Amino acid sequence: MNNEKYIKSIHRLGRLGSLGALGFMVGIPLVICTIYSCFPDFGLVIQSGTGLLAMFIPIAISEVFSYAPVLGSASYITFITGNVMNLKLPVAINAIDIAGVEQSTDEGDAVVTVAVGASSIVTMAIIAVGVLLLVPLQPIFAIPAVKTATGYMLPALFGGLALGIFNGRSGKYNIKGKLLGAVPAVIIVIIMMIMGVPLSTYQGFVIVGMIPVTILASWLMYKKGIIKVYEQGKTEPEPVASKK
Amino acid sequence: MTFKELSNSTWLWILVIAGLLYVAGLAAAFMVKARKRCLELGIENTTIKKVISSSCTFSIVPSLSIVIGLISLAAVLGTPWAWFRLSVVGAVSYELMAADMVIQAMGLNFASAGTQPANVFGAVMIVMSIGIMFGIITNIIAAKKITTSMADYNKKSGGWGAVFSGCFMMAMMSVMMPLQVYNPASGWNFVGTLTLLTSAGIGLLIATISKKTGAKWLNDFNLAIVLILGMASSVLWTNVVGMFA
Repeated sequence: MNNEKYIKSIHRLGRLGSLGALGFMVGIPLVICTIYSCFPDFGLVIQSGTGLLAMFIPIAISEVFSYAPVLGSASYITFITGNVMNLKLPVAINAIDIAGVEQSTDEGDAVVTVAVGASSIVTMAIIAVGVLLLVPLQPIFAIPAVKTATGYMLPALFGGLALGIFNGRSGKYNIKGKLLGAVPAVIIVIIMMIMGVPLSTYQGFVIVGMIPVTILASWLMYKKGIIKVYEQGKTEPEPVASKK
Repeated sequence: MTFKELSNSTWLWILVIAGLLYVAGLAAAFMVKARKRCLELGIENTTIKKVISSSCTFSIVPSLSIVIGLISLAAVLGTPWAWFRLSVVGAVSYELMAADMVIQAMGLNFASAGTQPANVFGAVMIVMSIGIMFGIITNIIAAKKITTSMADYNKKSGGWGAVFSGCFMMAMMSVMMPLQVYNPASGWNFVGTLTLLTSAGIGLLIATISKKTGAKWLNDFNLAIVLILGMASSVLWTNVVGMFA
């Protein structure tokens, strides 16, 4: 299959598959309310739904624009199955690292989609087992040490991911000084924290804002020769591109 | 019919299982199609197998934390709807907040919701679904454009393209990593900081052992091992920090 044909085909699957998932998400409540004659007062639905939409539409849009460049065509199944930050993004980053491919290339896109597909199936299977064992599992998950450990999953995860993200390997290239491109964004984030900006609430927006900052900083450092790109096995860096 | 009866009704179980089978089938279809594409692109089957086994192993622990969320959500919304919501898009924090907004708008609370009429549960299901749909809708509209533009730009840009595509993950980490250390709302997170550093140290140690001994398989499971040991270390750090608090 040539590349264009594959791109068309995988995005068609993603779009139609997403529409089907939306059908189930909206269809289940409507069918249930029809079968059991329990439609709610729609004034109430609009009243409570509006607040939720006002909060979640901007977050949803910003998340797609932040994460789709990393996830590629796997973003369809990622946004259908959820758990982006704690599961799908780490899986994608890990897969790129293991396969030694470059992000946003044909190879990177295919490898990430395999990884996210496999991860989604495992997660769904484990939740299904959790449903079957809901009663016997409750005391285990109530153990204080288990509760503490699960509460610190994200720090443990980001510590582990740091090496994969900030190391200089990127497919056929090695990037020296890559980490420096993130320094201005980190400084801005720290200043925002000191000013008391509630970052955990608005993290989606802040990430969207930090993307151009990181790109601009990396570009300037790349042009100045502070960030250097080497093709694997070569000792001379790649020539700096003349335009962005 | 009450909220509680509807939330455990037979038809809800049937429709939820049908929906989950559909999503699992879709994930499998993506995986099969992309695997075939990997082979066409010359990626070796052994590499693909490594990617799959590493992804599956890593996914176990975060999935168990979703099961913990399932236990708390099922207590409020019944098992089938909690199962569906946590398998499709949702996260327990969003789901509880969305359900709470509807129930509070009706002048009720979680404790009394179970005995309320079934239409309260109907409202909860509809609002939760509408509120979370927009990620998928935006994705349908924008994902192809974003992905293909990125790939085209990367192809044209040579060495800079490799730096550029890495900027998205670095921007994400620039925001997420400081948040694990300090939160304006709750202050310094000493246990979080120590856990993060422990994980990074363990990750580095595994990568070094793997490189020195030639045990490449060890590096394939690096993230899964780091996650388990890092989380376990948080129990130790909680006790240590507690001693000085």
